[in-house]
Parts: sequence; C-alpha cells; structure tokens
Amino acid sequence: MPAKGMLLSSSPHSFTPISTSKMMLSVVIALIPAAGYGVYLYGFSALALILVSVASAVISEFVFRKLIKATTTVGDFSAIVTGLLLALILPPATPLWMVALGSMFAIVVAKEFFGGLGANPFNPALIGRAFLLMSFPAAITTWSMPNGLSLADAVSTATPLALVRQGASIGDVATYFGASGTGDLLRQLFMGYRSGSVGESSILLIAAGGLFLILIGVVQWIVPASVILATFLFSWVLGMNPLFSILSGGLVFGAFFMATDYSTRPLTPLGQAIFGAGIGLITVIIRKFGGFPEGVTYSILIMNIATPFLNKMRVKKYGFVPPVKPAKPTKEAGR
Amino acid sequence: MAVKTFRGGAHPPERKERSNEISVERLLDVKQVVVPVNQHFGAPLQALVKVGDVVKRGQKIADAEGRMTVPVHASIAGTVKKIEPRTQSNNTDGPCIVIEALPPPAEGQEPAGSPEDLVEFLPPLDAFSCTKEEALARVRAAGIVGMGGAGFPTHIKLAPSKPISMVIANGAECEPYLTIDERTMIERPEDVVEGVAITMKIVNAPEGVIAVEENKAHAVPLLEKAIQSSPRTRAGMKIRVQLLKTKYPQGGEKMLITAITGKEVPSGGLPMDVGCVVQNIGTLCAMVDAFREGKPLIERGLTISGGACMKPVNVIAPIGALVADILAAGLSQVDEGALRRIIYGGPMMGVAVPSYQIPVQKNTSGVLLMNEEEAKHYDEETCIRCGRCMRACSCRLSPALLAVALETDDYKEAEKIGLLDCIECGTCSFVCPAHRQLVQRFRVGKQILRTMKQKEAQNAR
Repeated sequence: MPAKGMLLSSSPHSFTPISTSKMMLSVVIALIPAAGYGVYLYGFSALALILVSVASAVISEFVFRKLIKATTTVGDFSAIVTGLLLALILPPATPLWMVALGSMFAIVVAKEFFGGLGANPFNPALIGRAFLLMSFPAAITTWSMPNGLSLADAVSTATPLALVRQGASIGDVATYFGASGTGDLLRQLFMGYRSGSVGESSILLIAAGGLFLILIGVVQWIVPASVILATFLFSWVLGMNPLFSILSGGLVFGAFFMATDYSTRPLTPLGQAIFGAGIGLITVIIRKFGGFPEGVTYSILIMNIATPFLNKMRVKKYGFVPPVKPAKPTKEAGR
Repeated sequence: MAVKTFRGGAHPPERKERSNEISVERLLDVKQVVVPVNQHFGAPLQALVKVGDVVKRGQKIADAEGRMTVPVHASIAGTVKKIEPRTQSNNTDGPCIVIEALPPPAEGQEPAGSPEDLVEFLPPLDAFSCTKEEALARVRAAGIVGMGGAGFPTHIKLAPSKPISMVIANGAECEPYLTIDERTMIERPEDVVEGVAITMKIVNAPEGVIAVEENKAHAVPLLEKAIQSSPRTRAGMKIRVQLLKTKYPQGGEKMLITAITGKEVPSGGLPMDVGCVVQNIGTLCAMVDAFREGKPLIERGLTISGGACMKPVNVIAPIGALVADILAAGLSQVDEGALRRIIYGGPMMGVAVPSYQIPVQKNTSGVLLMNEEEAKHYDEETCIRCGRCMRACSCRLSPALLAVALETDDYKEAEKIGLLDCIECGTCSFVCPAHRQLVQRFRVGKQILRTMKQKEAQNAR
C-alpha cells in the first residue's frame, strides 16, 4: 500500500518544459549576433564594456538580494539580459566605471526596488541609460569610429541622427559616411556600417535576433510591428524620410528588445498595439522637435507609464454578453 | 474533411501511445465494491438499503426526490456489509455502500439462485417508439450522468428548454494518457452512432456530429462505416464525423461547440443557448445499454496508465471497484517503487489522491500512476508577465491579470475579467514558465466570489 509518499496537489499535473530561465537565455542568444557585430566594429573595448555591464548587473542583483535577505534569483538569467541590453545601447567608448554604475542603477533602483523580476514598471536597461545620460551627458554622447570606416577626423564621430539634428540633410549624412547616395546610405545603415551604440548598428542582425524570438514564441510580433509601422507613418506625415527614421538610431533595437520587455509592456493585444504606436509617435516627435537627436529611450520609458492603463484594454472574453442595462455605454465596456 | 478547432489552448505531451492499441478488457469476479452514494452533480441521495441486505446486480441502492438527482445501482450481486464514509475519487470522504459479492457455491452444491435471481435490470425500451417523457425517465432510472468528468445528470441535459439543432458526441478526449473513448469508438462504433441517434430523437435535433481529434483519425473510417450501416441514418437521420485539431482543451464543451459551429456559448449560459447538446462517448454507450438491455450504469470503461504503470490497460470495471482490485486481478501492474502520484482522471483536470484503494465512479475516465519524472513538482516563481497564459486561455480571460486581481482581493475586477467564466481547464498553469498556480487560484477565487454574491443577494432581499 503506497499511502505514504504520494504527492498531492491540485490539477494540472502536467507542466510545460519551458521555464523563465530558458526564455531569458533565448533572449541572450538572440542578442549575440548584434553584440558580436559590436565587438567586430569597436574591438576589445566593446567586449570589455559588455562583460563589465553584465557582471555588474549580476553581482548587483546577487548582493542586493542577499542584503534584503530575499531568495537569490541570479539563476533566472534576467540580470544577464538587463546587463547585456544596457551594454548594447551605450556608446562604445563609455568609461567602464560608468558602465558598472549604470548597470547597478538599472538592477537595484529600476528593478529590485520595485520588487524584482516582473514587478518593475520601467525598463531597467533604459533607466540605466537614462541615468547615465543625465549624469554624464558628454560621455554618453561621444561616439567612436567603427573599425574600417575611414572618415575625415580621427577618433570621435557623429551618429547619423546627430548629424540630422545639427541640420544636415540625408544627402549630407550619406556623404559623411562615404555612401554614394540616399539609397546607398540606407543600405549601409541596414547592414550596420555606421557609428552608434555598441549593439544598435546592424539592423539586419538585430532583426534576425528579434525574428528568432518571435519564431520561437518568446516575443510576440504586435509590439515591434506597431513601433516600426508607427515610426514609418509619423515620420512620413512630418516630412521626414521614413526609412531613414527606422534604420537610424536605436529604433529597431528598441522595437525588438526594449519595447517587448515583459514586465513593462502591456499584456493585452490592443494594449500592445497602442503601446507600440505611442513609442513610434513619441520617438518621431522627440527627433523632430526635441532637444535630443535620439528619442527611443525616452519614448519607451514614457509609454511604460501607460502600461497599467493599457492592460485594461482586454479582449472580449469567450461568450461575452454585452450588459443589458440601459445605462449609456462607458468607454471601458466590453474591454 | 476540414479540420476545425478553437482559439488558444496548449499541447501537453499526449502519451496515448501507451494504451491506445490495447483492447478493452473486463474486470470479472470482483469480491467487493465500494459504491459512492453521490456520484452526480446535484442534490445528495439517500441509501435505500441497509447493512445485511442482499442486493441484486442492477438493483437501485440509493435515490432521492428532486430534479437534480440520479439514482445509484448495485454493480455486483452481494450483501451490503457497511454503509460508511470512505475516500472518494475527488479526495473527500463521502457515504459509500460496501457490497461483498455472494460467496461462490461450495463444492457439489447448487448455486444459491439462478443467474436471473442475481440480476435486476430494467425492461428493454425502444427509444424510437416511446415518448420523450418515457425516454427521459429511463435515462434517469438507469442512473446515467455525464461520464466525461462532471457527472451532470443526463436526463436534465436531454430536457433543454430551448430548441436543439445539433447533438455533438464528444470524442475529442483531449486529456493526455486517456484512451478509453478512443477504444470505445473503435470497438463499439455502432453503439456510439446509436447513442447519438437516441439523443437526437430525445432532444428532437436534426443533426448529429461525432467530434474526433486528429490523433484518433483512425477511428473515423469505422465511425463512418457505422453511420452508413445504421438503420437510423437509413431512416433519414443526419449524422456525420468531424475531425478536430489535437489540442487541449478541445474536449471542453464550450471549445467543442465553438470549433464545430463557430458559435460561442454565452457567458453564464448553457450549450442549449446555442442549440447544442454535447454527450460523452461513454455516456452514449451507457444510454444504448439502458434502452436495449435495460442495464443501468453499473460499470464503465477507464484507462489505467502512467509512467509507474508497467501494464497500461483499458478496462471495464463495475462502479465501486477499487483500482487496487483491478491491479490485484493482474489486468494492470504498478511499479510501487517508482509510483509518486496517483491521479483519478486525466493529468490536466484529474484529482491527485493518496492511494488507489479508491473506487471507480461513474465519472472516472482514467487512473494515472505517475512516476517521479511525471510527478515532478515545481516551486512557484514570480510572474514575469510573459503573457503565455493570455494567449493559451481558451476562454480569453487574461489569466495573468485575473491572478493579480485575486491576489489584491479585487473581486469586482476579477468578476469583470470573467472569473466565473473560467472552465478550470488548467491550460494557464500548464503553459506558465514560472509555474504559477493560476487555475488553482481561480478555483478558490470562484468559490469565494460565489459565496460573496450569495450573501449580497441575501442581504438585498
């Protein structure tokens, strides 16, 4: 009689083999091409930057959770993802101590202060970048020259968006990067042969990583699609080159890897579509009218605020029956 | 044939290959049965026998007045030994009637009575010539309930207050491991078709559909042949087979209806609100037996399987037979050393119990003997808001948001999201990478919300 030792629990008694750590690991894998290309462009310093950022994130999380006597969560790999994401959106020449500080700020202030994984209202990596940008504006806007790209001046350079901010036309930007024309420039941007943050350059490799995540079901298509589509539309409406808007700066990287962050994007399909559209709109507005050449960081952080509200835009449940009350319908009815 | 399905769902490992080619065997010579008095969804019954009574096989031993009641019958001829609370397949104690089989006649002696004296069935009844009332009375008198799991009284289901346009035979059997419906469709296709025809006759439905998941497609030719040769279809009744995608919870009543008709059962409503009646395969065969032989529901088929089950089997056992006795009879075999979890029902909605000394009930579709690997327990981690549950929920209930509403005791929000519409299929908990106990919270939450609403209604009066 086996009465002893039988496990009792409420159904279901079957579980998916997919786990949090596997999902996080797949994000790391999806980022490897973009990160690898960053190392190729900027050499050892980019690799050091990535390693310092990841190490700082992991150590910060481990130490902080030890201090507050919480369970260790380093094993879920989410700190590695945050550290890696932050590294890829920083300029290649960022001093390593700043990188470590930003990564620690991202983990401790933006994530753990709010309760850790899944509870943070703002994207930790973007908070880390915003923190560094506000604290050390000069360092975070100094761009290195990619290997093999021969421009007039020596070490530092400008990003395509910064050039446009300074009043350059797309043609000027093309000339600056040694492209023969607008079409050639767009091709060059797509392939990633330009200055910028460590991991944001090659649209091709970023999109490949993003599509990989969509294909294996870790990320859904709605947010990236609506971000890119909205950016295209609003740039076009405001008389900017829509393709240049998408291919320059960190837009595609943000669309695939930042805006899709689980805890800070809405859960409902309609909420996600509005969220993405909002990111596209705010990005374009910042780029066109704002004080910064780039707006992806702030547009995502601003839309993060709307997430709890957007979560109210639920799909109609199965068998939904509209309320029969004669009261005038509220905006929320049925959502 | 176009393969239909519903939105959402998941694909738990099927593991049906362990038992789906094994013919149904019958458990004979049962020494003792423990028949639970209450095996239906509804009002409790009273035992009609007392300790010491001799009962015949098929004799009614428990019943009650009232609409939502279904009688229970003795599944073997014998002597009532005890009437006492015992652990039932839902892991709670309930009154059970323990019947010990009559001893076999001693060497050289005549049997105590002729076989007729030991059996008490109802007279056969032709479902196609009797009145609807007679037919419904027979379904109730035969003790028939939904055998797929809920145990809902079939005579209530067959007396809908709205016109019915379609009878659906639920051959989806979407729970992993279970193969008894599959075997029944293969071994008794004529009876499945006949059961659909009887149901169509009772509810006056113009169409019958036998719904089968793709992983059981090999049963389709047999069913189609049975449909062609059935005297009912020759007489003009319209019955067909519909293939469905293999996906959990395809066999859920609502998902089945939506897959086949495209209609959704309204929130708080019943299948009849969209003109459907859904019947389990086992229930259909039990109805055929109840009319043709007058045989009450005193036995049922079930699958015994699982990683710690060394001899998976599909077996017909008397209601009240202990699974331990099925094992003792050698029909199946358990690896005691590997056994870590016992489930009555399927792995998605079944109940974990402490032992297999628990009787087979009218709604026991299977018993799973699981090993360490299958019974693996996961600690709950924090929700990462990945949204997998949102996409998997077949009722589109936003489980992640529902869980937050319940954790913050916001029952108003929970009700708005649709807590009471949850069919408790467990898909959300299955797909959760953090192993959150979502459906478990919803079950408790539903109870609390219902109690709150009852209290509100009382106070309003």
